Amino acid sequence: MEERYARQRLFWGDERQRLIGESELLVAGVGGLGATVCQIMARAGVGRLLLVDDGAVALEDLHRQSLYGECDLGRKKVLVARERLQAINSTVEIVVREERIGCGFAVPGGVPLVADCLDNYEGRFALWDALPAGCRLVHGGVQGDRGQVLTLVKGESQPLNEIYAGSVQPAGAIEVSPYSVFVIAGLMCSELCHVIGGSAKLLDRFLVVDLVDLSLSFLDV
Amino acid sequence: MVLLRIYGTLRMMLGGRESVELPWREGDTVGALLARFQAGERIPVTHKLVDDRCMLHTGTIILLNRRNILHLDRLETPVRDGDVLALFPPGAGG
Repeated sequence: MEERYARQRLFWGDERQRLIGESELLVAGVGGLGATVCQIMARAGVGRLLLVDDGAVALEDLHRQSLYGECDLGRKKVLVARERLQAINSTVEIVVREERIGCGFAVPGGVPLVADCLDNYEGRFALWDALPAGCRLVHGGVQGDRGQVLTLVKGESQPLNEIYAGSVQPAGAIEVSPYSVFVIAGLMCSELCHVIGGSAKLLDRFLVVDLVDLSLSFLDV
Repeated sequence: MVLLRIYGTLRMMLGGRESVELPWREGDTVGALLARFQAGERIPVTHKLVDDRCMLHTGTIILLNRRNILHLDRLETPVRDGDVLALFPPGAGG
């Protein structure tokens, strides 16, 4: 195994590293959560990343979206993300799709694991509908100083759109602190690595994170 | 008793309380429980969940024993002794 993984292999062992290296992950949305999720997973040595997003880098993104800088303004996020991720870890296979996830979205066949880093319910529900049976979804959401992480298995868990039934997108831009996305994205990656290792911690269970009072709570669904 | 679990901004409004236990009554519904809960609070809370016409707002999901009440009978959903009602305003962004 490569020297680059030496420190994490000490932590989680060679078998976990092998599983991560053989895994494939679709990251839906490479904005606040997604940019950090795909960065951490690339650094961890995931085998293949499929990035889906249709957005371009804007000035208002730079306070929290860790892969982008001023030189990227106006460029497609997935293209910038691929460049940065390949510079971080050239052994990771990276495939990008410039596409908005909405009604009619199709998940490529065989994708076993998806990180929901989207910023809208319409996209999240379309993504859930598009997942094949047995696919595992690690969902994240963030707003202000709070957020949540949840793992679901398509065909076994309650559907995401039933859990969130009635939820309507807030009007206008959603408030978010620069650090909360890193906290939630980090927790999503922890869960992704647990899922890959066969030991999901948040299956059918929200982890609700509140940075206002520094609390963590669970909510079973 | 019915356990009311509270998350996010609602918890902050209630001084950090994670949950409230409410005595169960025969014929209780989600709406009746929320009204009784509000009656015991000094500050308005349930306006975050239900408007003056008893319509559910969309920023907070209400789960009864893990199920969103929109898939049950909404505010008319019967509540049994020992049930757990959760009020959760999820983070919408990403």
